[in-house]
Amino acid sequence: MTATDHVQAPAPAQGGAARKRAKDRAVRPTVYILKKLVSLVVTLFVASLAVFFSRFLVPGDPARFLLRGRSPKPEALEEITRQFGLDKPAWEQYLNWLGGILQGDWGRSLTYRQDVSDVLLGRLPTTLQLVALAAVFITVLGLFAGIVASLNKGFGDRFILITLTAAGAVPPFVAAIALVALFSVGLGWFPSFGSGDGGWDRIWHLTLPALALGITYIAMVARVTRSSMNEQLLREHVEVATSRGLTRGSVVARHVLRNALGPILTVSGVLVAGLLVSSAIIERTFGLSGIGQLLVQSIDRLDFAVVQAIVMVVVAAFVLVNTVVDLIQPLIDPRIAAGTESR
Amino acid sequence: MSQLLNIEDFTLGFPDRPPLLDSVSLHVNDGEAVALVGESGSGKSLTTRAALGLFPGGSEFSGTVSVQGLDTLTANKQRLMELRRGHASMIFQDPRAGINPVRTVGDFLTETLLRFDGLSRAEATERAVKQLEQVGLRRAKELMDQHPHQLSGGMLQRVMIAAALLNSPDLLLCDEPTTALDVTTQSGIVRLLREEQQSRGMGMLFITHDLNLAASMCERVYVLRRGTVVEHGPTQTVFQMPQQDYTRQLVEATPIIELGEVPAVEASAAPPLLQVSGLSKTYQLPRGDVITALDNAGFSLPEGGSLGVVGESGSGKSTLARLVVALETATVGELTLHGVPRPRRPLKAAERKVLAKDVQIVFQDPYLSLDPRIPVGNAVADVFRLHQRQGRKQAKASAAELLGRVGIGPDRFDARPRALSGGQRQRVALAKALAARPRLLVLDEATSALDVSVQAQVLELVEELRDQFGLTILFVTHDLAVVSRLCSELIVMHQGRIVEQGPTARILEDPGDGYTRNLIASRPRPLWDAEPVTA
Amino acid sequence: MTLAIQLPQAGLRRYGSLLSPMAWGALAVAAAVVLLSLFAPVLAPYDPDYVDLNNVLAGPGPQHLLGTDALGRDLLSRLMHGGRTSLLGPTIVVIGSTVLGLLLGLVAGWSEGWLGKVLGRLFDLLFAFPALLMAMLAIALFGKGLFAPILAMTIAYVPYVARLAQSLVVAERSRPYVQAYRVLGFRTPWVVLGRVLPNLIPTVGAQSTLNFGYVLADLAALSFIGLGVQPPTSDWGAMIEESRGALLGGYILPAFWPALVVVLVVVAVNVIGEELSDRIGGKLS
Repeated sequence: MTATDHVQAPAPAQGGAARKRAKDRAVRPTVYILKKLVSLVVTLFVASLAVFFSRFLVPGDPARFLLRGRSPKPEALEEITRQFGLDKPAWEQYLNWLGGILQGDWGRSLTYRQDVSDVLLGRLPTTLQLVALAAVFITVLGLFAGIVASLNKGFGDRFILITLTAAGAVPPFVAAIALVALFSVGLGWFPSFGSGDGGWDRIWHLTLPALALGITYIAMVARVTRSSMNEQLLREHVEVATSRGLTRGSVVARHVLRNALGPILTVSGVLVAGLLVSSAIIERTFGLSGIGQLLVQSIDRLDFAVVQAIVMVVVAAFVLVNTVVDLIQPLIDPRIAAGTESR
Repeated sequence: MSQLLNIEDFTLGFPDRPPLLDSVSLHVNDGEAVALVGESGSGKSLTTRAALGLFPGGSEFSGTVSVQGLDTLTANKQRLMELRRGHASMIFQDPRAGINPVRTVGDFLTETLLRFDGLSRAEATERAVKQLEQVGLRRAKELMDQHPHQLSGGMLQRVMIAAALLNSPDLLLCDEPTTALDVTTQSGIVRLLREEQQSRGMGMLFITHDLNLAASMCERVYVLRRGTVVEHGPTQTVFQMPQQDYTRQLVEATPIIELGEVPAVEASAAPPLLQVSGLSKTYQLPRGDVITALDNAGFSLPEGGSLGVVGESGSGKSTLARLVVALETATVGELTLHGVPRPRRPLKAAERKVLAKDVQIVFQDPYLSLDPRIPVGNAVADVFRLHQRQGRKQAKASAAELLGRVGIGPDRFDARPRALSGGQRQRVALAKALAARPRLLVLDEATSALDVSVQAQVLELVEELRDQFGLTILFVTHDLAVVSRLCSELIVMHQGRIVEQGPTARILEDPGDGYTRNLIASRPRPLWDAEPVTA
Repeated sequence: MTLAIQLPQAGLRRYGSLLSPMAWGALAVAAAVVLLSLFAPVLAPYDPDYVDLNNVLAGPGPQHLLGTDALGRDLLSRLMHGGRTSLLGPTIVVIGSTVLGLLLGLVAGWSEGWLGKVLGRLFDLLFAFPALLMAMLAIALFGKGLFAPILAMTIAYVPYVARLAQSLVVAERSRPYVQAYRVLGFRTPWVVLGRVLPNLIPTVGAQSTLNFGYVLADLAALSFIGLGVQPPTSDWGAMIEESRGALLGGYILPAFWPALVVVLVVVAVNVIGEELSDRIGGKLS
């Protein structure tokens, strides 16, 4: 009745459109998935351009740049020129680099005198285990704190909120220092160094690093859970569900939490990149030999090929995870694939 | 007849603030339809929700609210949930907000059946499908698997009604159930509700701001104002012989179709102020669909005339308004305003400035149509500085004078829009538009978001200003009654097309088009009268 | 009938009333830290680099209010001087990214055509490069120190501001009050810069305030792993790094003070930022 019919986002006309809608329903998910996949490839491509050509921002001789900190003997300069194809035009260098990456040839590390891919693969498991354990902490503790805060208005909410504000302000490296001071030096419950021997020992060694890594993100996930649920709690459909005689538990699980999942998932996807990068600092603090530690070392030792590879891996991981998140979103909210609503 | 719903001395409020509801007493008998009317902020919704034991968090209340003998103010959770599941149901205002958008219609309907009534999925589905068919939805089985965004507003409201009726409640609470819907859709829902209420012998409490609608549904009525019941009794008595001043004002402010109110402009040889022919607007959607918002519109509006454009949502009436003020560019067709043909491209800044002196617009939403940061006096003064080339001081004086003419006193000159009421904001919006001294004023649902009493005042103001400034009016609205009061000529639009145009009185008395007839017939009419309310 | 209008109007709502006590406290902490750092050369009791090997790892006392580190340097003086470096970086990054982000966001939000789309894509792409990663890449390219990470983080934080500004502008653009300005014949630059931009500033300011905390933490982290400021310059992150040996030996204070200050400043900044954004975007009246 209060007609707001600016036709900027027009609702499909009723009636005759029914048949067409049936057809659309079959087509739209496919189109949606294809779009997301195309966008994934394009983003990866542009990101690879940015990562590769970042080297060209440095003025001067590229061979000398790549050999910084090492003796620029003529034979070394010649070798680096050949290895990176520095005598070829830029676009050819890029194509070779990209072609190499796609075929698993990531170039050679100057420090380790090894293929970058081998260096990376050797370090990857530690990082993945660390990030996975942190992700478990983040999901469990973050969701739990957010849900409890949202459902306990008043003192409980205030208390959790203040805790979260404090926790969210602790940078991972400070958290690492604090945890080490308390649990390793003080109480002696957890080791402060190394990654252990696998199995439970590995988890025991990774507990403090994962907590230190996760603490900021636990706070972020808890906050978004809380605010997303609070937003849903105000919605009329929740009142309708209550008015129909559903129990509080059913209303929360089926209508509040269920509808709040979208934003939580989106934020979680964005967190992944930060988690991978922060692991560089955590790994260094705890002496874990993962790719984060490798990244810091390679910057320290001016091993640019490795830095470039790791940056590309992190960016690719971020883009991939977020594509997966985008693909899951329509399962949570069917309006997204239909393109009628962005939530 | 026993008392189904009995509210006695019900007071509700927040600590340290004046109560929102003050000793409200009302009752609904078995099988009786009772209306609760009032303007926004009167406490209608709070009263109704209390019958289900739903109170705003942190509120304090006293009195009695009993449904079939169960006092919802003191009942425990278990009893309340049983009441909500089996004995009393509520239909909410906006079905699109009220049905969980991420779950299917079937899920929505069957969730209480599956969880609390111990039905199997097949039984629950069968019952839900039957109920959907009963409320007039076709292809009910298919609907069960669809999501709310795939249904129209009218269909969704029927789903909501089906859900409310599933457990054969004894009391049906309706909170403005048709306010979010178009008039023609509303009439179908109203008929359905009345039929169900009659055939099931349910008691019904029907909340509305619309007196006509209350009269078409209910035998008795309560009039609520700022948390107190000011008058109650049989609907016909209350509306035809109101005892209280407030009720009388409300009845008088309620727009009714008035025939022959506005004299037509005398025909003259001068070219019309606004001339439109073959005007169309299409939108290309990202998915490749094309939406025709306006299809081949043609009409003319003489200087000093008043033209009403009436239609439901999606009729293209707002597109037409936006084309006239050049917020949109036509796809094809001609539009000539004050002798200037409109180019079919976005206007340049200089052209816009010239156009501003020919046409201005006032939008629907008084809460969004003013810049929240700018004091209203300055907002109007800015226009004087731009168009009348006045200095800062002179512009302020002009603004104060104009604001005075629209009823905004000098004490409000430095007020931010948020400090003003909805009616005051629309007055400021009018002043801002008039400061450019336009010939043509477009009103795009300019009074639709206001309470009826405020709407009546603003309409009166528009009439005054029209005479004072010699304005030509293009009034876009969904409300036939408002148009009949203000406009001598009328255009009826449906799905992007003009289906009928001519003198307002002629069209309202003797509509030539099927859709126009439907539109007029859809206006709610009182139970005691087969004809629409006319003065 | 009144349904649609009473929803909150994000970005434009009541702002400007008094802050909560917690926000006042946060403001006081932030002001104290800023002033102490700013006037460190005048106020600091000792030369921050003065080594006193007779007085290493001393506890707090009348001589050294917060104690000394492993080289006998006065911790309070080092904290105050280190604050100058620690606060300077985030200040530059936040100002730079806010100005750039607002500009790009306004353009992206206002232009309906390809330009808006391309800029939107660019912001998306930049999101894939977390600030800390961008900073590390820049360090790998241009060498250790503060210059490279500050430049990189300025760029990395642009999309956070720009995307917010863009979405706000898109929302504002379709608001009746902006359309009314167009119909009234006001020129677009006047409307955008004079009327729309001021309405965005509180919301964007809240986001930038939050960003300040993140940048401070990230830059400190870089110094902590030895990639940021280089000796003899020091900041809070570097102080924590210097104190790790002492920490493992059981001397907590040299690492505790800088860690505490970092956390306090980030908390204060977050509290202020959230207070702002709650005030703007939050509750129903």
